[in-house]
Amino acid sequence: MKSSYLRAGAALACAAALSACGGSSGELLLGGSYSGVTKAGLVLTNGDQRYEVPASSAGNGSGSFYFPELVGTDDEYDVKVAGRPDNVEDCVVTNGKGRAAFNITTVQVNCTFKKHALKGSIANLKGDGLVLVNGSDRVTVTAGATGFTMAEVPEDAPYGVAILQQPVNQTCTLANGSGTMAKVDVTNLAVTCAP
Amino acid sequence: MKSFLIRPALALALAAGLAACGGGDKAEFTVSGAVYNLAYEGLQLTNNGGDTITIAPPAKAGDQVNFSFPGKLEYGDTYNVQVSKQPAHQSCGLTGNYPVNADTAGRLAAINIPFACSINTQPIGGKVSGLTVAGLQLANGSTGGVVTLDKDATAYTFPLPVAYNQTYGVTVLKNPDGLSCSVSNPAGTMGDVAITNIDVACVPRT
Repeated sequence: MKSSYLRAGAALACAAALSACGGSSGELLLGGSYSGVTKAGLVLTNGDQRYEVPASSAGNGSGSFYFPELVGTDDEYDVKVAGRPDNVEDCVVTNGKGRAAFNITTVQVNCTFKKHALKGSIANLKGDGLVLVNGSDRVTVTAGATGFTMAEVPEDAPYGVAILQQPVNQTCTLANGSGTMAKVDVTNLAVTCAP
Repeated sequence: MKSFLIRPALALALAAGLAACGGGDKAEFTVSGAVYNLAYEGLQLTNNGGDTITIAPPAKAGDQVNFSFPGKLEYGDTYNVQVSKQPAHQSCGLTGNYPVNADTAGRLAAINIPFACSINTQPIGGKVSGLTVAGLQLANGSTGGVVTLDKDATAYTFPLPVAYNQTYGVTVLKNPDGLSCSVSNPAGTMGDVAITNIDVACVPRT
């Protein structure tokens, strides 16, 4: 008799501890990794649970996330995107659906940034050989060109165009070469060559 | 007469027994495998510290290269395959979850050793002068990262290294208050050594 009270008490304590822990009846983690999240705004849902993923602290837009509420063994889960940071085009969930049997750490949310053009004008370029770089992006400009276009740049990302190689017999300078990509195309880069 | 017949018969039986044991139909094992992402010449693999093969990059970039050592192993022989020389501009090593490069022939049905190569990367940076105010931000294009320099910094290195044959271009993303900074040797194409001459000079803005 005594032992059965003890047991019930223990079970109750156990249940209390669990619910205190997760705020729900569950005991399993639900989460995974994300990429392309450099600012707040990514909202994920699982049923009626809602979780706003904070911006990546790593600075590269990638990190891991877990719903604050736990899910129960054998519960179905279905992670969906309910809100996106304003600098991304789309966020895609993979491995978002299933039935929980153990801690779920394999949900992936990959967001792709909006991208904008990075281009400018060229004055007085007479020879071949001008090469412009934006980091690892390399563009060769031919003689007589009056404009150039670099690869598109993600919104909110920095850009910095530099001259990798001068054209034959000329020296060019670049104005407005660096900045941070806003919500519209950047078109004000200006290369001027002399003599 | 009897013993005259028995002796050759015995010899024959013995010979047959030996052949079954070590001769004609014994199992042979080839030490083979594949190399992934090899892009440059020069990779050499060595088995048991002696047998060496040179592996050329694939005709079509990105394809895997299969290799086999010419010497065959018998059941129970040991093998130990190591990278004895790295290719130019790359580093190769074992890949996969449980790669086995050293074992005894016959324990696995076939010997298949996976190697993968990655392009070498080198850091970029330089010296800094005249930085009397904090807040200078340098960027290496849109994907090469940003460094923010403290007041009185005299050198910097980007946290992200640059891969061989990739270009870099360092520009001032943000000047510190009251200063104007310029970058010398800002752009280049990465070779096999670290870049340390992207120097930054800051002067008071007039």
